[in-house]
Amino acid sequence: MIGQSMTRIDALGKVTGETPYPGDINLEGQLWLKMRFSDRAHARITAIDTSQAEALPGVVAVFTAKDVPVNEYGLVIKDQPVICGPGSDMPGSDIVRTYMDCVAVVVAETDAIAAKAVKLIDVTYEDLPAVFDMEAAMEDDAPQLHADSPNNIICHYRIRKGDMEAGWSQADVVVEGVYETGYQEHAYLQPEAGLGYIDEEGRVTVIVGGQWVHEDQEQIYHALGLPPEQVRVIYPAIGGAFGGREDMSVQIVLALAAWKLQRPVKTIWSREESILHHHKRHPMRIYSKWGATKDGKIVAAEAKVIGDAGAYNYTSNKVLGNTNLMVTGPYEIDNVHVDTYGVYTNNIPCGAFRGFGGPQGAFAAEAQMNKLAEALGMDPVEVRMKNVLREGSLLTVGTPLPKGVTIPQVVEACAEESYWRRGDGAWHLNRPPQPDNPALRRGIGFACGFKNVGFSFGFPEQNWATIELHGGAEIEEVIVRQAGADVGQGAHTVFVQMTAEAVGVPVEKVRLLTHDTAKTQTSGSSSASRMTFMSGNAIRGAAQQALQLWQDEERPAIATYQYKPPKTTPYHPETGESEPNFAYGYVAEAVEVEVDIETGHIHVIKVVCANDVGVAINPQQITGQIEGAIVQAQGYAIMEHLISNEGKIQNPFLSTYLIPTVLDVPTEVKSVVLELADPRGPWGARGMAEMPFIPLAPAITAAVHDATGVWFDEIPMTPDRVVTKLREHGIGIL
Amino acid sequence: MSMRPANFDYQRPTSLSEAIQLLANNDEAKALAGGHSLIPAMNQRLSTPEQLVDIGRLDELKGISTNNGTLSIGALSTHAQIAASSDVRTHCAALATATGLVGDPQVRNWGTLGGNLAHADPASDPPTVVLAAGGTLHLQGPNGTRSVSADNFFIDLFTTDLQPGELITRIEIPSLQGKKNAYVKLAHPASRYAIVGVCVVLEMNGNECVSARVAVGGATPKATRSPSAEERLTGSSLQVAAVDAAAEALVNDIAGDVMGDLFAPEDYRRAMAGVYLKRAVQAAMA
Ligand SMILES: Cc1cc2nc3c(=O)[nH]c(=O)nc-3n(C[C@H](O)[C@H](O)[C@H](O)COP(=O)(O)OP(=O)(O)OC[C@H]3O[C@@H](n4cnc5c(N)ncnc54)[C@H](O)[C@@H]3O)c2cc1C
Repeated sequence: MIGQSMTRIDALGKVTGETPYPGDINLEGQLWLKMRFSDRAHARITAIDTSQAEALPGVVAVFTAKDVPVNEYGLVIKDQPVICGPGSDMPGSDIVRTYMDCVAVVVAETDAIAAKAVKLIDVTYEDLPAVFDMEAAMEDDAPQLHADSPNNIICHYRIRKGDMEAGWSQADVVVEGVYETGYQEHAYLQPEAGLGYIDEEGRVTVIVGGQWVHEDQEQIYHALGLPPEQVRVIYPAIGGAFGGREDMSVQIVLALAAWKLQRPVKTIWSREESILHHHKRHPMRIYSKWGATKDGKIVAAEAKVIGDAGAYNYTSNKVLGNTNLMVTGPYEIDNVHVDTYGVYTNNIPCGAFRGFGGPQGAFAAEAQMNKLAEALGMDPVEVRMKNVLREGSLLTVGTPLPKGVTIPQVVEACAEESYWRRGDGAWHLNRPPQPDNPALRRGIGFACGFKNVGFSFGFPEQNWATIELHGGAEIEEVIVRQAGADVGQGAHTVFVQMTAEAVGVPVEKVRLLTHDTAKTQTSGSSSASRMTFMSGNAIRGAAQQALQLWQDEERPAIATYQYKPPKTTPYHPETGESEPNFAYGYVAEAVEVEVDIETGHIHVIKVVCANDVGVAINPQQITGQIEGAIVQAQGYAIMEHLISNEGKIQNPFLSTYLIPTVLDVPTEVKSVVLELADPRGPWGARGMAEMPFIPLAPAITAAVHDATGVWFDEIPMTPDRVVTKLREHGIGIL
Repeated sequence: MSMRPANFDYQRPTSLSEAIQLLANNDEAKALAGGHSLIPAMNQRLSTPEQLVDIGRLDELKGISTNNGTLSIGALSTHAQIAASSDVRTHCAALATATGLVGDPQVRNWGTLGGNLAHADPASDPPTVVLAAGGTLHLQGPNGTRSVSADNFFIDLFTTDLQPGELITRIEIPSLQGKKNAYVKLAHPASRYAIVGVCVVLEMNGNECVSARVAVGGATPKATRSPSAEERLTGSSLQVAAVDAAAEALVNDIAGDVMGDLFAPEDYRRAMAGVYLKRAVQAAMA
């Protein structure tokens, strides 16, 4: 079963439209919920008058801050009120800190009445000084957003390795850059939607799309002040996530309304509401300076990273933790000095998004590497091979990577399968010819990357699976209980494949019970490229024990197993020393672009992606992830420009926030799937779904540089930015 | 954003005169042709007509023909019909190109030339071509018929010379056969509307350009001719320096009028107008 491109178990229902998504589910007697959001970036709400809304016929209830029993939530730090406004005993919950704060919730007989009623709520604000630039937010005189975070600093990570002065003194060349990355919107197919109700056992139940049922449950019962077993979360099909469903959107307010009213309550966000009211990928500003000897060995690397967390933490401290490690690339460097900050501002909150801080780090690291290659007159593949981490190499945090370090193999495979040839013991680039039209210039770029599988840095990682073997003389049915969210990536198909393999039955005998806190134990989040790795190990463990019981004649044979990967440790506060992660993925990409130097359009002609997946449990899903990640990363690098003006999103529509369509995607994507087993992975599998995203943006900027001679240190590279910058360099139109 | 129109009354007259009568009787009535500008505007409540007068089935407004080489295009001709017409391709290739680049297949199958010109959306393609080609619009209203040259028809953003109750019946375009002509556009990635569109019509005598008409749309509130660019091209042999000078002249001519948005700010559109003039000349001469 492992290694076969089995048809996805959800394919038929999805393509025929039979599979329900959260917005498709209705219950008799359901009411409709609408949220009213803040009209200010930073203000104290002194009064809120809901009387007109309540008086509107068809309105059943209006809830405000005073109605939330424990008015706080947050995935890592509970720093956000569920509803902002007066009347709550939670300190600071009368303040809105972003336009996406919720200030009231209306429940009505119809969606239209609820929509009308939210506009009738009269909110009185007392404006507070706001701050929108992440570096300005760190100044002493900046407005303070949260009492326990002086200078708005959520986290400050340091890496201190070696002796910087000695490093710089060995350097023959030094390259520097200030890198700026933009927001990115997840733009999943299905905007937020859900249904809250009281189930047959009296539990407050929410049907919704998310990434981790048990975490949603925890956030709901905390805010409602209920015991865990009185709250239940169920996911039907989930219309994409990419990290954007890791935090709460409609979950808590639906539960609150259903609980208070004891009736089913439904809501569906529009695309505009979705873009305005869930978190984004962090914009970051990265100052970087690297030095190398003339034969290409990096001897010193210094970086300062600032990430705009927006008004609340979400997963910012985790995201910035990754950037801290990835900002110096997958290279062994003796002397390193990094400072990384996550900073509160009055902008839209930022959090998880495919790559989780890795892409921003790689954007700076790989640009630095490509600039070094240029400064040294060396081939970019060649200079990487002189520096990449190998088995036993020490990370910047002073410890080696777990066994199975394959970045050298990945870099070479990518080079070989793309535009490079090895000759005279070195790598050489073979450029394809330039087009005849002088306005069009082609170029080749290369970048590589690594990323941790799982959150780690001391996070208590776990995944539970239960396997039930039913039958008499032979196993007739295998039930696997595994909560892990299938956000569209195909996790459930892989669960079935791995169960069949582990038990030794055909897939037809396997039945999956999932996506329900009442039927499963926690799986952890479907994020950080971790789900196949974690669930596979749990399924294997449970299957082994169940088979033993089966041998011992137990019928049914049922075993539950909790997989816990090897322990990791957080950064040492002064030096960063740590055992940060238990597993990694490795990737390299070569890109060919064509730049229209007059219009600023960048067309990605070809991407070659070499990704070590350990073992490809379902090869078709692997290439699906590679191609999808590349398209999403291409949008990040070139097209997707979310514009925020004083904390307010200016383009909350897919007609103005442009994501790649079939007309924009690369002409060709070549997936080079390496299967170099991870000794800790189930059957050797590695996490892989974020990896192909990570090096694409810097590979594209390198290709654009190859085509035009100009470095772009800021993304997205929208046409007008490209034209402006090329004109500054005397290229294109003058 | 509302996605449903306000209430309205609907009429489907069976003759042109009946349609004009209905429109003349009610200030708040609007003609409905392909509905691909009007209905979206109604859905967003940018337009709230009391009555829709559906002219979509009036045979008097249909058909594409030529008379001594002059193209006569019925107002109800769809973008798709125009793009596919061999008469149009022979006598005004730029219009075939422009209508073929409108929106997507659905828009081209429903949207009409008359509706497009009457709507006068600054991001439209056909007005730019009809203007550069020296077209004439034939109108009929409560006071009878008249004709207006494209030079005088487009007044401003969404504003034309059409009087209350008047309809465009057909569009005449003198044959450009023998003249070099082309339309090129930079399309918005999502809507496909023109960020910039440029049409050139060049009369050549050997290597010399003896007359030129240049119009630009998309960047400006209305389709706009560039007299300075026409002057630079006329009398030249379209050498690089002359075309570059024409591009610069075009940019100067429209400089104060250029509109911008989040995707394509003013500076960018201004620069693109010059780039697309060069590309239009290249395409015409190719
Ligand atoms: C998604 C989308 C993409 C588009 N992309 C483009 C594009 O790339 N380029 C482009 O040029 N256009 C584009 N359009 C607009 C399209 O070309 C419209 O069809 C056209 O502008 C209007 O023609 P219609 O027949 O649909 O007119 P309608 O929508 O029916 O009417 C438009 C207006 O014209 C009036 N009207 C209609 N017919 C007449 C007449 N004979 N005489 C007087 N007044 C009349 C109506 O009263 C109304 O005010 C796009 C439209 C959509 C929906």
